[in-house]
Amino acid sequence: MSVLPAALQPTRDAFLTRTTPAARLVAGVVWLVASVVTLDPIVPVRLAVAAIVVLWLWSGLPMRRIPGRLAPLGFAVLSLTVFSILLSSANGDRTLSTVAQIGPARITGPAISAGIAVGLRVVVIALTTLLVFGPSDPTRMADSLVQQWHVPDRFAYGTLAAVRVAPFMAGDWATIGAARRLRGLAPRGPVARVREAGGRLLVMLVSSIRRAERLALAMDARGFDSGLRRTHFREVRTGWRDWLTIAAAIAVAAVALFVPR
Amino acid sequence: MKALETTKPAAELLRWRTVDIVVVALLAVAFGVVFWAWGTYVWAWGSFLGPQTESLLTGVWLLPAVVCPMIVRRPGAALFGELVAAIISALLGSYWGLDTLLSGLLQGAGAEVVFLITMYRAWNPVVAVLAAAGAGIGEAIHDLIVNYPGLDDAGRAAIGAAEIVSAIVIVGIGGWLLVRALRRTGALQTFPSGG
Repeated sequence: MSVLPAALQPTRDAFLTRTTPAARLVAGVVWLVASVVTLDPIVPVRLAVAAIVVLWLWSGLPMRRIPGRLAPLGFAVLSLTVFSILLSSANGDRTLSTVAQIGPARITGPAISAGIAVGLRVVVIALTTLLVFGPSDPTRMADSLVQQWHVPDRFAYGTLAAVRVAPFMAGDWATIGAARRLRGLAPRGPVARVREAGGRLLVMLVSSIRRAERLALAMDARGFDSGLRRTHFREVRTGWRDWLTIAAAIAVAAVALFVPR
Repeated sequence: MKALETTKPAAELLRWRTVDIVVVALLAVAFGVVFWAWGTYVWAWGSFLGPQTESLLTGVWLLPAVVCPMIVRRPGAALFGELVAAIISALLGSYWGLDTLLSGLLQGAGAEVVFLITMYRAWNPVVAVLAAAGAGIGEAIHDLIVNYPGLDDAGRAAIGAAEIVSAIVIVGIGGWLLVRALRRTGALQTFPSGG
């Protein structure tokens, strides 16, 4: 899938690569909640710094690829911040002093600080997402959810099977495009291009559904839906690293939220 | 084949077969890729428009909540589809990542409630539009709390309304048309929606 970013995988053994995905998910949600419950910008700043330190020291992910990975984020953060400031309800509060006046728009101090908090919130979410999903692959994630959280195994491994065949979709897309060109269906102009993409998408979905049906048949032929109790090939156990990760995430969130400036 | 399907007892129609799981998962994976691309290429640049107008683009993120259940007609398909799509976009590196799980849960639940009210029996365009609106409400609740907390009431109301309108048009009407187009190709014959 050439348009998609290459999977970000850990390049070395690190603390977080030895934790279970379920534990990282809990730790990540703690930070997510901590960054969302307040409009004080100091909280997301502290969490973002903590996330970068963890990413650097304990994630095992190649730091050189992180900036490229997060590049699309910059624009979204900027616009979310600017619009949050411009449209803030605090700007209508006459008891607050005006910090800046842009045409009819009046900007107040609390509006600026809340806007920056909302923008940084997205930065924290993006960094935390890397920490949760970066250090292991989808297979570990499925193993972990089934064994630690008792997610129904048919759903977890059925999804994993779908993830495995997903890359074929890119090949389908190219083949369908070639077939359409062969039939003389070359789009000209933007409207035709959108229509063409729609047609290709439909054919691609049809071929995906067909492939999923064959896959399900093959899985059932091997007793996937037998209803028998399964044992696990790769055992996942909650270890001390998991508890330490969750405890540390809670501690950092508490510091970020409650320690005064 | 189809006569057999329709004469099955209701309980049998509520149980997920392997093919239901894999097809919903694969569709969700495809939508997860769309989520990531939409967030990276369209949403980021749409920011110029300001949050109220940009919210008209949000419907795309709700497609699995209606398309997946409309195809397999199993309870939980809205939630399952939205959650898998959210996880996939997080794995691909969508910067909303973890937060998508939260919003996916709310969006899926919003649509699921509507399908539950029909007892998973009515699958017409009206139900599709209502489920889309339900998903849109779930999304608006999430976004107003997480992304637009400081805005004035008029701004927040406009964003909420834009998200629900977007859901109804893109997901309710668009999603229903997509399922109909898929059905016409004959690809859904294994499912109750195929006939």
